[in-house]
Amino acid sequence: MDRNQLSTRQENDVDASAKQGTKTRRNWTPGRIAAGIILIILLCAGGFLSLFPLGRAFTRSALLLPALLSDSAPPPLVVAGEPVRVTHLTLFPHTSRTAYLDIYEPATPPPPVPGGREVIIDVPGAGDNRTVPQLVNLSRSLAQEGIIDVNVGTPALFDYRVETQESEAVVEAFELMEHWPGVNPQHIGIITFSVGSLSAYEAAADPRIRDRIAFLAILGGYTDITSLLRDVGTRSQTINGKTERWEPIATTAYVLYRSVSYLFSPSDQKLLQEAFPLTASFPPPLPAAKIAQLSPVGAAYYHLLEGDQPAKINQNIAALTPAMKTLLTRLSPLSIISQVRPPIYLLHDRNDPAIPYAQALEMVAALSRLHHPYNFTTYTIFSHVEINLNSSLIKELSNGPELLGVLTNVVLPGS
Amino acid sequence: MLILSLLWVVLGLIIGALAHAARLCPAIWQSHGWPVMLGLGVFSALIGGWLGTWLLSALFATATAVWVAVVGVALFPRLILWCNARWQRS
Repeated sequence: MDRNQLSTRQENDVDASAKQGTKTRRNWTPGRIAAGIILIILLCAGGFLSLFPLGRAFTRSALLLPALLSDSAPPPLVVAGEPVRVTHLTLFPHTSRTAYLDIYEPATPPPPVPGGREVIIDVPGAGDNRTVPQLVNLSRSLAQEGIIDVNVGTPALFDYRVETQESEAVVEAFELMEHWPGVNPQHIGIITFSVGSLSAYEAAADPRIRDRIAFLAILGGYTDITSLLRDVGTRSQTINGKTERWEPIATTAYVLYRSVSYLFSPSDQKLLQEAFPLTASFPPPLPAAKIAQLSPVGAAYYHLLEGDQPAKINQNIAALTPAMKTLLTRLSPLSIISQVRPPIYLLHDRNDPAIPYAQALEMVAALSRLHHPYNFTTYTIFSHVEINLNSSLIKELSNGPELLGVLTNVVLPGS
Repeated sequence: MLILSLLWVVLGLIIGALAHAARLCPAIWQSHGWPVMLGLGVFSALIGGWLGTWLLSALFATATAVWVAVVGVALFPRLILWCNARWQRS
């Protein structure tokens, strides 16, 4: 048998096997079909979740959601997440512009795809929230996912005061992160909570950066301080034309007082501080003798925060000084919303005890009037801006898809 | 990375087994088909996982490992057959 004969025989064997293979392929058993379908699903799912930006954003948000609903990172993120480096920076120390930045970032260089990292500038609400477990967990989880998270704190917010100049810290943080190593400067967004929303709105309206902000996400923010005072003063909110009972927490009154306190006389300040301290619940009302010691504007503001004269709400608001009314307007995001450029994601809990749900509806109405791109989502699992860890599984499941949608939008720029 | 690699090995084995059940294995391989398919599944998944880690970060490496493993078990047997046939002809 020469070499040519051997080769021909082998080819015949191959052809016979190929024919046999063809016959076998025609034998479509249910098990074979099921295995084929599973493989096609795995191919499509794996390809979508890794090759497409939307798929990668969905992967990120799906891993981030458990971190948001609890105060610990989910195991997949611990295993597959990036190592995290935390840097504490103080901008302009010992000046009126002092800002504290906590930068949570991946310790590794950015991957070739998509290149530069996304940055989320995070403006927490009133008080020093830098060590709040849920915020720290969220920041770490974002960094583990390859997103740089920058928590911005200012002395005024630490002191439960809302001030207009606070946006300077956000603008500084934005400009700093634009030149941060490994960052894609076009993928920087802002997330803000509660009364931190004024700084975020002002930064998003600031001509220096407003055209470069990828998005603005507001959780539990307020819209107009005068209407907020009206809600606090009447202990009610109006939703879709229906007035319903709403009881604020003591912190709301404390922040509303602290933010305008410098406009009151020292004696008024002393009495209002006594009436609205930073406590878990409202203290007993001031005795009539002490209320009588307040100036007319001090008394009007006291009754607005105490909510004991709902029938006189208009008179009490009218009694405020022009300087105070001007300040209230300046402290209201509604006054600058027309200058805001980036798309807005509004999130608000339906039963928010600190900022009434009606405030979010007021912003939605304003954005609709301006034809500004926005997305509004209502939740029931937050307690103001923190996830209520005691909320039922049914509530979490019902809110989960909506939360997943918003998270996907937020992490999409850097995916 | 070790845990992830082990996960990709397991995924590769599963995908290899599915590929064998779906008869992506050439009939010519007969009884040797299933270990070869499992091996190809593991090989493809590991290549996909490491490639995904390098290109996209470890967060997306498992998804990459899955689709690369599926592509691998579908294409590698045919590639091997084709190479084998060419080698035999030459």
